[in-house]
Parts: sequence; C-alpha cells; structure tokens
Amino acid sequence: MKTNNILLKFILGAYLVVFFGYLLGPLVVMSITAFNSPSFPKLTPWECLTFEWFDVLAHDERILNGIENSFVIGIGTVILSVIMGLAGALLLTQIWPKLRATYYTIVIAPILIPGVVLGISTLVFWDRMSIMLGMSSGGILHNGIFLTILGQSTFIASYCMLVFIARLQRFDTGLTEAALDLGATQVQAFRKILLPFMKPAIGSAAVLAFLASFENYNTTTFTFGKYPTLTIELAQKVRYGINPSISALAFIIIALTILGALAHEIYRRRQQLALANGAPVAAVSGGFQLPKFFRGNPAAIILVLLALGGASTIWFAQSYSPNACKMDVREQKQLLQQERIKAIREKRQLEQQQKQHQGPDVFSGSKSGSPATQSPGKGAFGNVFAPGNLDKSGPAAKPDEPAKSPGKGAFGDVFSPKNLDQAAPKED
Amino acid sequence: MTKGVDVDLENVWIRFGDFVAVREANVNIKGGEFFSFLGPSGCGKTTILRSVSGFLEPSEGTVRIGGRDMTGIGPNKRPTALIFQNLALFPLMKIWENITFSMEVKGASKAERRKRADELLEMIALPDQGEKLPSELSGGQKQRVAIARALCAEPDVLLLDEPLSALDLKLRQHMRTELREIQQRVGITFIYITHDQGEALTMSDNVAVMRAGVVDQIGSGHTVYNDPATPFVASFVGENNVFRGKVKSIDGDMALISTNRTGELLARIATTAQGTLKVGDPAMLFVRPEALNIAPDITPAPNRFAAMVKHEEFEGQIYNVFLEGSEGKEIKMSLVNIGTERQSAEGMNLTLEYVPEQAVVLPAGELASE
Amino acid sequence: MKVAQLFRDYFAKNGIGLGSFLLVAVLFWVVILIVLPQLSMLDFSFRHHLPPPEMGGPKDTYTIEHYKYLVLGAPGADTTYNVVDLGVFGRTLLAALFVTILDLVLCYPLAYYLGQSRGGGAIRILVLLLIIPYWINEILRAFAFRIIFGESGLINEMMLAMGLISDPVDFIRANVALYAGLGYAYILLMIFPIYNVIESLDRNQIEAARDMGAPWWRIHWRVVIPYAKPGISSGCTMVFMLSAGALAAPQILGGPSSLWFTQIIYQWFNTGGNWPRGAAFAIVLLVTCIIIVLSMMRLFKVKIGDIGK
Repeated sequence: MKTNNILLKFILGAYLVVFFGYLLGPLVVMSITAFNSPSFPKLTPWECLTFEWFDVLAHDERILNGIENSFVIGIGTVILSVIMGLAGALLLTQIWPKLRATYYTIVIAPILIPGVVLGISTLVFWDRMSIMLGMSSGGILHNGIFLTILGQSTFIASYCMLVFIARLQRFDTGLTEAALDLGATQVQAFRKILLPFMKPAIGSAAVLAFLASFENYNTTTFTFGKYPTLTIELAQKVRYGINPSISALAFIIIALTILGALAHEIYRRRQQLALANGAPVAAVSGGFQLPKFFRGNPAAIILVLLALGGASTIWFAQSYSPNACKMDVREQKQLLQQERIKAIREKRQLEQQQKQHQGPDVFSGSKSGSPATQSPGKGAFGNVFAPGNLDKSGPAAKPDEPAKSPGKGAFGDVFSPKNLDQAAPKED
Repeated sequence: MTKGVDVDLENVWIRFGDFVAVREANVNIKGGEFFSFLGPSGCGKTTILRSVSGFLEPSEGTVRIGGRDMTGIGPNKRPTALIFQNLALFPLMKIWENITFSMEVKGASKAERRKRADELLEMIALPDQGEKLPSELSGGQKQRVAIARALCAEPDVLLLDEPLSALDLKLRQHMRTELREIQQRVGITFIYITHDQGEALTMSDNVAVMRAGVVDQIGSGHTVYNDPATPFVASFVGENNVFRGKVKSIDGDMALISTNRTGELLARIATTAQGTLKVGDPAMLFVRPEALNIAPDITPAPNRFAAMVKHEEFEGQIYNVFLEGSEGKEIKMSLVNIGTERQSAEGMNLTLEYVPEQAVVLPAGELASE
Repeated sequence: MKVAQLFRDYFAKNGIGLGSFLLVAVLFWVVILIVLPQLSMLDFSFRHHLPPPEMGGPKDTYTIEHYKYLVLGAPGADTTYNVVDLGVFGRTLLAALFVTILDLVLCYPLAYYLGQSRGGGAIRILVLLLIIPYWINEILRAFAFRIIFGESGLINEMMLAMGLISDPVDFIRANVALYAGLGYAYILLMIFPIYNVIESLDRNQIEAARDMGAPWWRIHWRVVIPYAKPGISSGCTMVFMLSAGALAAPQILGGPSSLWFTQIIYQWFNTGGNWPRGAAFAIVLLVTCIIIVLSMMRLFKVKIGDIGK
C-alpha cells in the first residue's frame, strides 16, 4: 500500500511536470530567444546576450500602428460588449420562462460559432447593408475599426454575459425590492444597488473583453480593412518572415501578464485576509505593514523579486553592450568555417588522390570556389547557422581572406549579424 | 409619533397563472395595531404582504392604505416599509448609509442624513456602529438596523416578513419583546408575517390564520387559541388532541359527540359553529393537552376516557405524557410540574378527564398537517 | 394580451427608461449582431459571384452553385467529386476531434487533481500558471511552437546534439507542431469546465466508493466521470468547435501540404475573391459543427444550458 502511494505520488509529480512543461515551456523558450543574437529566433546555439531586438521592436512602425489600432478597437469592444453582456444577463433573469432556453441558446451561440464565420457574416452583412443604403465603399460601414468592433463584440459580449450571470446568481433581488420599498426609483435602485454589486464583475468582464479583443485573430482577419490590429500584424510577420523582435514583444506581453496576474492574486489574498480577520479591507490595506503583508503571501514575494529582477535587467541592458561578444562569435564562426572548409578540402584532396590512384575518369572540383554548394549537407553547418543564412554567409567568408575579418568589428555597433554577412563581401 | 393608518384588503384574489395564491381575502387592520398573518409556509401570507407593499398587484379586489386605493401605485410610492425575511441590508453600504437610504434617494444632504442616522442608531441601542458594514454586525444587530432603516422612511405601515426566523431561540424571544416595544413607541401599524404561533400570539393585537390561500379566522390571540373557527386553526395554533365522530345530541352550546374510537364525549360548540352544527353531522372534538387531567376516580362520564401511558417527557415546568387510548388512539397530556410525586408511570392504565367547556366541537374539516 | 401584460410587468419592474435601454441593447446584440448577419451570410451563399455593379441586377438570382462546387468540384474537372476540398473538410473535422481527445486525456487528471485538493496557496499558484498562457496572444503561442518544432528549432537541435537523429525531423510537415499548438491553445477551455464540476463533487462520495472497495479506475468510471459529464461535454464542445474553426494556428504551424478548411474559406475571401463561395463554405462549416455538437450533446444527454458554466 505504501509503495503504491509513493508510486502514485511519483506519477502525479511527473504528470504535473510534463503538463506544466507543455504549458509554460513554449513561453519560456520564446522569451529567451528574445535575448539571443541570431536573426532567426532560436534558443540553441546560444550566441550573444542582446537587447537589440527590443530596439528593433520599438522602431517597427507597423507593430506600433497595430498596437494603436488594437487599443482603439479594444476600448470600443469593451464598452459595447460590457453593455450588451450586462443587458443580456439582466434580461435573462426576467425573460418569460418559456422563451428563456431559446434566448439563452441564441446569446451563447456566438461563443460556439467559429470566429471565422462571425467575421465573414459581419463583413457580408454590413457590405450588403451599405449597398442597400447606397453608401459609398469608403463609408463607415466599410470602416475596419467599426466592423471589427461589431464582429468582436458579437461573441465577446457572450463571454461578458457569462461573467455577469455568475455574479447575478449571487445577487439577492430582495435588495432591489428593499431599495424600491424605501422610495428609490427603478433607476436609483439600479445605480445604487445593482451596479455597485456588479462592479467587480464589470471590472473582470472589461479586462476579459479587452484581452479577448486584443488577441482575436479569426474574426478580425476578415473585418480589419485598413486598420490591422497588432495580432494581424503579428500573424503577417510570423507567416512571412520571422525575427526575434516578435519574441521580444512576446516577452513584454508575458511579463505584463505575469505582473498583472500576481498583482491580482495579491489583491485577492489581501481581501481574503481582511475577511478572515473580520476587519474592513481599508483597515488592512491602510498603513505601512509590509511584513504582515508578506506573511503567507508567496505571490507578493514573487512580485517583488520580479520587480527587482526587472529593474536590474533594465539597468544591465543599458550598461551592457553585446558588440564584443558578437565579434567573438563572428570570429569563431569564421574560424570554424575555415577549419571545416579546410577539412573538407583536405578530405577532397585525399579522395582525389585516392581516386586518381584508382582511375583518371573521376570529376574533380579541386578549386575551392564556393564550398557551400558542394558541402556535404546542411547538417555540418546547421549547428551554427540558420538555413537561410548559410547560403549567404558561405561565399562571404572566403577562406583566403581571414585576416580582414576582425576589422569588421568597426561596423558591429550598427549591424545585426545578418547585415554583417551582407556587408562582408563589399570589403573584398 | 404618527398614529398608524388602517389597511384594508377587500375581496383580494391573487393568481399566478392557474394557481390561486390568495382566495377572497377580506381583512381589516386598524391603525396602530400589531397585526399578524399566521400560517404554514406556502399558505399565501407572504403574497398578501407583497400585495400590500406593492410588489404585486392583486388579480382582483383592492388594497387600501389609510382609505386610499393603492391600485397602480408602485412600492416606492406607498407609505409602507418592508422588513425582509433575510433583512436585505445593502452589503456594500455602511450601516448609517443603509439606515438613511430612503433619505438619500429623496436627495437629503449628507449632514441631515448623518444626524438622522445617529438618532436612529441611538434608538436601536447601536450608537457608534454607523461606520461598520452589515457583514461586521451580529444577527440581532442586523435585525435592529433593518428596523431602523425601515423606520427612517417614516412609513405609516411597517411590514415584517418573518424577520426573526434566522435568529436563534434566545435572541428570537428577546426580539419579540423589543419589536412590541418599538411598535408601541412609534405607534404605527405593524403587519407581521410568521409561521411561528408563539411569535404571533405574544406580539399581536390581532391574528389572521391562513390556510392554502384562505383566511380561516381573524381575531385576538386569545380567541384564535381558545375558540378556533375551523379544525385547521384548532390544530395549527397550539397542540390539540382530535377526536373524530358524529354529533349525537345538542344541548344549548354543548354537544355530545359519539367518537369513532373513544366513546361519547361532551364539549362546547365553537362560536362560529353554533346554530349551524346539527345532530348527525360529522364533527371533530378538540381537547388541548393542558386541558387533560388524571381523573380522581374511574367512574365513566362523558368527559372521561381511559388510556395507557406509553412514555413521558419531562420539560421542567411540565410533563408531557403520551398515552394510547382504545384502538390505538394517540393522546397527549401535559401536566404542570408542581413538585409533587409523579402520578403516572409507563404502562399504567389511567382515566383522563377534562372540563367540557374547555374542549371545542367543530364541523369536520381539514387539519393542519404536521 | 398575455404579451402585453408581460411588457407591462417588465416596464413596471425596470422603469421605462432603464427597461427600454436594456431591451434596445439586447435587441441590437441579438438581431443586428447575431441573427441578421448569419441570415445575410446564408442568403449571400446562394448568390452568384458578381462584380459589385451587377449586384441586385437581373443576374443576381439564387443558385446552389457554390454548394455544388464544394461537393462536385469545378465543372469539367476530371474527378466526380471535389476530392481536394472535401478531403480538407474531412481532415479538419478528424483533426479537430483528435485535438479534442488529446486535450481531454491531458486535462482530466489535472482537473480532477485541482478540483479535489482543498484550495491552498500552491493550488492557487497552479491555477494562475494555467491562466497565464491563455492571456498570451494566440499568434505568439503558435509562434512559440514554431520556434520549438522548426527545422532548426529547439527539439531538432537538441536531438541532433544528443545524436538521436542525424537529420532534422520536419515536425511541421508531419503536423506534429499543428496538433501540439492547437491542443495547447484550447487546454484551458477543457480544464476549467471539468474543474468547476469536479470541485463541487462531494469528496465523501469518492471516500464511500473507496470504502466499498472500488479500485481507482472504477471510482472514476462510476462516480467521478458521470458527475463531471456536463463539464466534460462542455469542454469537449468548446475545444472541438474552436479547433475546427481555428485559422491562426493552421496558417502558422500547418505544413505546406495540409490545409485547414478555414484556410480555404480565407482564400476564397482574400486571394480567391469569391465571397459567396467563401460564405457557402462557412455555412457548411457552421452547420456541420452545430450538427456534430448537437448530436454529441444528445448522445451524452447534456443540455445547452450546461455550456459555458
């Protein structure tokens, strides 16, 4: 029985490790690639610690523009979805019982309808509306922001409604009646009783709606028109060309998410603590009482550690320059390449000699010209180079000009490794 | 303080679809009275209360408050204040904000509201608790806050929907006294809903006993207890031993009933049945446990019957003796504990007697189910 | 008459202003955003593909050509059926089913573990860890898998370094990356419905079953799973629908030879430029998914009201 327990615990532990490895591993890997210098995001081999991808990101007009559009659309979607979701939830509690199931099915359906279908139907419907109304194709009904907000709100409002329904289930309708009984009008009762009760739910629904809007792709991809959101831009980049500035963006988003989640956790913890002590929240949050606040609050400790880590990283990033490292790597790469090429050459010569011994009819490529084309396979270089770079850098690093390569360091400050490769031939 | 106003229900019917929640209720509640609706759960008493407070419109009939027809007037326009079963204190508002909510919605200034809140907090003996939240108060304190909140609206009629049901026994008994005191101090009409006959009898000037949407009897606690109008009232208010049978003979306001299992018994005909009850009618005879006694001898008489002691419960001031009459008829008798030796023991055969005027005969009808 | 009474009660309860505001908001949502666009898309899918000036003209008549195209292929094609598109359609549904099962198998144990352990700080952190990946952009999550499964990605590099393989494995072409990415994307939608249900399961029931000598698998089969059924079907429904309707992950992680049905729809709308055909395909996807989900719910006797809890 006991061994059974230990075995069970081991299996459980292994399962948890695998599960959370699957869940968090990709994010960790992606984050780390943001700090590696190769121009294709990868973890291995580790070349140089660099922060240049954050720079690249900060100067990417399309990304910045996408963020702006995402914010405008996100805010519009939050407003529309929260209002519709709240109204939908309130109506659900009052609707004629015979209609309730039908009504619920209709308003919950957008969650299950594929986002692609929602995007298409929104696009088609408003396109036809504008034709019917005789509006020009530049009108508001064709505006990407307008369409995207409507398309996204269709299903995000359902999410919001679910949040509100959960909260409303705990609402005592007696409270509204009590307010009316004490002379309040319906609007007063709504504003003073129901809305304050719903406030936390409205907050979480708004956050949920904003995040859902921010990351939506399936619906937006049909409706965005001339206003690509961040997610659309990211998708374009990821599909048609990748560099680690996307990893840098991912790292920022992940960091913000974790900070947000921890802050939320701390807040909840504190509320629970307050409730447990029977004291009002104000009494716990007021005043300087860090030690108590830390006690039994791992989230707070992690948050502070993260903040410290973040601050020191930023300080480090400002004082640290990866150029020296990059030069080293560059040099090493070239040395390695030379050695390899040399080895290949020798091998070939050896082979030739052997073949010459065996017979004269064998083709011989004794000139070293472009080793990459005849290299035994990408595998040999694969450890160092991304496939794309290989072809370019191969010819660039001509074996008979090793002496000049350190001089390239002068450009190192401005060039990413990729640029460096292209620059190299010009120096010949 | 203001004198309370009359509340009249005239031929009030309330239906939900096909279900009749209240059937032809005619109730006259006098101004300044402490009036209770007493009945088991689901009898329609809360529905009546909601029609008085304005959350429900009667399907038929009228509700008048102070002589004014209330049809079409919403709960926020009626001179009533309701204390909810769960109190319905606003959880996110401080105590003083709760109490003065009725002033807030009318636009009273904060200073005015604070002043009034302090007065009321003083009255309910909770000074300096105004800044707390409802969740930080005890059950009894919340109770008093709910009363203060309702009184702050200066209603002509205060409606209370089983407000004590959530409290423990001790507190409940204490609050009964307190409620009665407050009512007498402010002098307005109280309409109280309860399923607890103890509450209804101790506090009320008058009680309406309800059964399945019908008001069976209206009267003082004394009347309802001693002179019930229906078998339901007789069996719901207090405990009663019921003997079914037929009327054998009538002599003035006394009737001799030949019961199904216990022979012939004599009792007074209830006031409502006098003149209508005839010889041969199916009837029920009610004898309260405390009206029963051990007869000094075994001579048969129409107010005596034999029974065997099954077991006893000792409650302190009384013994409850559970007996079995002929053919397994169950009988309960309560004897006052006067400190003398016990007169009964398990297995003992006894002859019980009662004063015929203290037992009641009613036409057979529906009993309260236990 | 009854309806009039209903509205009177409604406005009496909410007041004219607030009542009409709620009603307008819900009507806008239900009619303008949900029902009309779907109907409009349905109608559109039965139209000819016309240049804008001819819309509404004499040529704008109803047709089933787009549906015919999906089944039979282009007129004059050398196959009787539209093997390509139908094949993609079938493969999409099968793959979505596979992803659903993968997620269920992966999530059930954790949902059970989380649901049955009594709160505690560690559990809360685990739940937090579960939620964090969900807030990261869908595109970025797919991107992460591309970094890991790419030809020169983490796994290939590691296996090469350890000498397990001599040539990089093309995970993208083999769709491993796609399944991993899709499964990853919807893990949370599977775990939380199950977790919520199992959390409300009385531990004593499990104790009782164990007390009666039931082995662990029987406890799950007879006690836990029947109880968790609403959560399981709710999670499965959502994962299935979302996988079948996914677009980003297949675009980023899909191999060159394997299309997702949504990608075909996307192509008709963008590069193909034939909107009615895209709409028709979208309708087919929508209807098929609804039928599958409804029959699954019928099969497992679950109500729509359980979805989204």
